[in-house]
Amino acid sequence: MEIMAKVAFCVYTLVILGGSIFAVTSSSLVRALVGLITTLIGVAGMYMLLATPFMAFMQLLIYVGAVSVLIFFAVMLTRAEQGGDEGEKAPMKTYVLGLAATIAPAAVLGWLVLTRPVASIATPVEVSIKQLGGELMGSYFLPFELISVILMVAMSGAVLLTWEKRGKK
Amino acid sequence: MSALTLYQLVALILLCAGLFGLTQRRSLVGMLICVELMLNGAGLSMVAAAQLTDFSATLGQLGTLFVMGLAAAEATIVLAIVVVVARRFKSARSSDITTLKE
Repeated sequence: MEIMAKVAFCVYTLVILGGSIFAVTSSSLVRALVGLITTLIGVAGMYMLLATPFMAFMQLLIYVGAVSVLIFFAVMLTRAEQGGDEGEKAPMKTYVLGLAATIAPAAVLGWLVLTRPVASIATPVEVSIKQLGGELMGSYFLPFELISVILMVAMSGAVLLTWEKRGKK
Repeated sequence: MSALTLYQLVALILLCAGLFGLTQRRSLVGMLICVELMLNGAGLSMVAAAQLTDFSATLGQLGTLFVMGLAAAEATIVLAIVVVVARRFKSARSSDITTLKE
């Protein structure tokens, strides 16, 4: 990696680390959402470093644009702030068990990643958007169509679930 | 340490933050936020692995795009379920909706 790439990698890592810590530990859900958005932007920066500007664009468009707005709607619709859902801390038992449940996979995966490095090339491969689109319309046509069907079903299912008959209340 | 290892470690941080948050969060919306963190870790790991090895880079990027699409669908469904649950139980706390245990 070039020196600038190293600096950028460190900065994005710090953004991701800070954002995710904020998202996990913050006692207010709106602040947690801000932490999540910070993390998502950091990941978009990582995509830029990996020479995939299209993925970075999609990350900003789908996650920062759509998913976080959805989560914000969820926060508003459930009045998550009013009751102070996240106000009190979790009991000690939950904390210890949660830490154990986190450290176990982290230790195994970290050990695997560190002791069995895969031969990697220094500079990322570049794929043009044209090539991506060609593959999407060629070999991966079925998953592409399936994902649109899944999105359609999910959207209509969500509308159906939250449907309120008029005058019922 | 190779570049791929560094990216995988960052993805591991995202996964662990999501896992830890999933166990600590008291409300359903907070848990959804943590699931999004974990999905992002998966996407970053996939793109890094595809870009920095001999594996097909196109497949890696398209796979991550599909993960993003599924995450959007999942967030929609979870939003609808959370709204229904909140309307029915008058709260979105995970401890309030364990009626099966009582």
